[in-house]
Amino acid sequence: MNLKNSMKNKLKRREVLRRGIAGLGVAGVGASILHSSVMSRVAEAATLAEANGKILVVLELSGGNDGLNTVVPYGDDAYYRHRPEIGLPKNELKVLDDHFGLNPGMAGFEGLFKDGKMAIVHGCGYENPSYSHFTSMAYWHTAAPNSGEEYGWVGRLADNLDPSGSSNFLVNVAARQSLAVRSQKHVPVVFDQPSRFMREAFFEEKEALDRVPDVGSVENPSRRFLLDIARSANDASELVRDAWSNYRSPVDYGVNSLDLPKVVSLIDSGMPTKLYYVSYRNNAFDTHVFQNNVHRRLLTYTSDAVAAFVRDLERIGRADDVALMIFSEFGRRVPENVTLGTDHGAANVMFVVGNGIKGGHYGEIPSLTNLAEGDNLAYTTDFRRVYQTLINGWLGHGDGPSILNGDFESFDMFS
Amino acid sequence: MLRIKSMPSLALMGLFVVSFPLQSVGQNRNYSSWENDLGPISEIDWNYERAAHLLERAGFGGTPDTIQRFANMSPSAAVTSLVHFDKSSPNVNSFDHSGIHDAGLDPFPPSRPATTELAKKNGEALGVKVKPTGNRRLQPVVNKFFYWLRASVLETNRVSYWWANRMVASEHPLQEKMALFWHGHYAVNESKVRDYRKLLKELELFHEMGTGNFRDLMVAVARDPAMLSFLDAGVNIKGAPNENFAREIMELFTMGVGNYTEGDIREAARAFTGWNYDGLEFVVNEVDHDNDQKDFLGHTGNFDGIDIIDIIMEQPVTAEYMAGKMYHFFVRDSVDPELGDQLGSLFRNVNYDISLFLETLFLSKDFYSEASVGTHIKSPVELAVSTYVKLGLSEVPGVPDFNQTTSALGQALFRPPTVAGWAGGRSWITPGLLLERGNFARDVLFPDINFIPPDRMNGSREIQSVARRVREGLDITAATQPSSIGEGQVMAESNMLADRDEDFNTRYGSFRGWQMAIQRVKPIPRHTAQVDLSAMVLKQEINTTSEVVDFLIQRFMRVPPGADSRNMLIEFLTNELGTENIVEAESYMEDSLRMTLHLLLSQPEYQLS
Repeated sequence: MNLKNSMKNKLKRREVLRRGIAGLGVAGVGASILHSSVMSRVAEAATLAEANGKILVVLELSGGNDGLNTVVPYGDDAYYRHRPEIGLPKNELKVLDDHFGLNPGMAGFEGLFKDGKMAIVHGCGYENPSYSHFTSMAYWHTAAPNSGEEYGWVGRLADNLDPSGSSNFLVNVAARQSLAVRSQKHVPVVFDQPSRFMREAFFEEKEALDRVPDVGSVENPSRRFLLDIARSANDASELVRDAWSNYRSPVDYGVNSLDLPKVVSLIDSGMPTKLYYVSYRNNAFDTHVFQNNVHRRLLTYTSDAVAAFVRDLERIGRADDVALMIFSEFGRRVPENVTLGTDHGAANVMFVVGNGIKGGHYGEIPSLTNLAEGDNLAYTTDFRRVYQTLINGWLGHGDGPSILNGDFESFDMFS
Repeated sequence: MLRIKSMPSLALMGLFVVSFPLQSVGQNRNYSSWENDLGPISEIDWNYERAAHLLERAGFGGTPDTIQRFANMSPSAAVTSLVHFDKSSPNVNSFDHSGIHDAGLDPFPPSRPATTELAKKNGEALGVKVKPTGNRRLQPVVNKFFYWLRASVLETNRVSYWWANRMVASEHPLQEKMALFWHGHYAVNESKVRDYRKLLKELELFHEMGTGNFRDLMVAVARDPAMLSFLDAGVNIKGAPNENFAREIMELFTMGVGNYTEGDIREAARAFTGWNYDGLEFVVNEVDHDNDQKDFLGHTGNFDGIDIIDIIMEQPVTAEYMAGKMYHFFVRDSVDPELGDQLGSLFRNVNYDISLFLETLFLSKDFYSEASVGTHIKSPVELAVSTYVKLGLSEVPGVPDFNQTTSALGQALFRPPTVAGWAGGRSWITPGLLLERGNFARDVLFPDINFIPPDRMNGSREIQSVARRVREGLDITAATQPSSIGEGQVMAESNMLADRDEDFNTRYGSFRGWQMAIQRVKPIPRHTAQVDLSAMVLKQEINTTSEVVDFLIQRFMRVPPGADSRNMLIEFLTNELGTENIVEAESYMEDSLRMTLHLLLSQPEYQLS
């Protein structure tokens, strides 16, 4: 980050501190208590964001992306034997090297890889894989395969980075909160449309609406939960809305921007958020039938949005501060099915994208001839190694093992 | 409102009655033991508050009149009237089709590329022939493809409206509530099924069988075209089974994950091979059916899909899973494990009879225990419908649009997010959604004068811009160029794929399809909510702003807001009216009452039932 941008961002952070407090301009009983506690929480989070200015963004591709038709091992004949109909010929691919090529619809990813801004991690999975979307996604969300864990890994990371649970530390752009961000100490800021993240109210009503009663002695657990959420909504909504209305970008994100412009708008506004979570929604990648056209389209949208995200971050001078991790709950069965699609599988590729990345291939490439049970790729990389890499290598945080309930080896992925 | 007057203690002590329902009657009884007790409550414990709770959960709440009518019955008569309703007495009109489906649209191809491939191969598709010569020979086919996509979406929105109106007005609210449960359980999505007729047919199935026998319902759903289409059953054929359908039947519809093996899924998929649909009819394609032996859950035989369902119904875990799921929906989020076993036994003992199971549930002490009452977070559909019911409306307003509202709140009918349906409970609420819920109340009480009917005007900027350029007389190529981007910027690949095929133009088809759809789909009536809060309040024969606030709390809230919030509302209304005496303010109080109600319905407590 150059000096000018750094100054600009410091200014912006101060502005947020101010606005964060002013935004809660409430009067009446309890307001002073509210002010001081919010002030300290906002200030703490801003300090934390300064400490290591790095930001992690997680992008989930829901439905089980077919990794083999995303990063295509065209150099391996076995690929074409397993997929005589839907296998993608080399001459259509965005060839990366003498073994792999990207799906033809992924010009954006091709550019990122060739610029050294993308790590492709092969064979990511876990022991005894589940083929259920919901179960496997829950394993990835909690980083706890085949076991129970109440909180999400991103939520636990937030708890660990900032045990004070300061406001606006964790943002999830979504219609519904993801299990991945469920946290013990933080109330994640979850919204879908920034422009709708507001109370529409008459001027006369505002003071009354801004008042959130103290949880105090309320016993009804659902009611306590609602009061906590109401407080988080009050803390965040004005900041998010202002960030979005101030955001103007010439960058073309394509047909489906995957909520990434919203992330850029918040980063640019100086929100103290360190962790963002977005997704390609609604099980989109579940390509059981006639997959090639639709899969290519999904990948084009993804690739467009991700490449645009990096360009947009460069535009605001923050590209060095952000890493984006991309995953899906499982890959798909190696052999195609008779309906020119693929069924639920196991190991898969993951991507880490950003200026700070040492681009290239990571992890052992899974065999296409020695398949695991059910004609699936045997995993070669525990997916939590990638989580650990981001916690430790990117965010510079030493407590990975306690967050992930195990010691996973980091990749040396950052320059 | 005569009934309220006949029970002055409730009207006047509203707040206290709501706050302390357990203390208000039968003070010598021990209520702490009610939790996890499936035994029936007795008549002495039956009162207005419990009748209100029953109506909230088994239906969509009630006006004070309706609640009082139920309170005047015995508890078992009240529950019986809800659970064992007379299906043959029609209390709502049947759906009024626009008539949008044409011969040739069945079977609808899976994508636009599949449609144009088909047209190139056969010289026609979707009942439309390819032009023999000339430019854009496939354009009419592509137009027709997009026509049906748009028309089916719009007509599905009309089906949602029709259903929502039934929820508001039906004399059998449990029939609608249970249909909503099954829609979330057997969750199919319009965006994949792409045929409102199949969705309507499935809804009719839920209306017809939703409180009947679970095994019969499961069989009917397994043969239902909407479900078969949604889970790709049509491509599950001998020699190459597609496991999607078999997996979800076990994982989501009957047993829950972990109670079967991957092998059981593969074997079950074989048993369902050949099950398909033709238009709206279920068919078995014998040549595609695998007639060999299957090993499933410890049984061996030449099973078909019905046999598989019957074996699943023999598993104790099936009754437990389904009983637990209904308990979550109707009672509360967490089930005590021992109670879970009891519920499973209960559902098995009544041979999967849903209405008998619900009868026991709704009469149980557990259902009325402190752990259950006022702890349920309303789903968006429950929130919208019950708000209309409590306002005393007999139909769903056209403004705000019901589908836009519920979609923004996270529960668009016929568009569940995944095959697992809606997660429910706390997942309904995020900071963004909590604000949105208050905005819904405002949209009802103060309709947006800039409202644009979403069934007339397409919100996509791309389609709007094509439409404008076509009207200006531009040729198709010029009219469909993607909007320009900034200098020095890279255009996204997806935006460059505009018009590469000279046989047709996809962007034009998308525009034209929309135009054809609004020409044929009937409009949704756009009246606003007919509410007269002044009249509603004056009927209570109350005088002060604090009485008004207490009345509104009593009428709308199952969990009253705290004393601070109540005081805030009274203070607000008094300030707005310039007096504490509402009789003085009669001629101008409507707006202030609406604001006060908006504030009340924006409270976190309004989300609870």
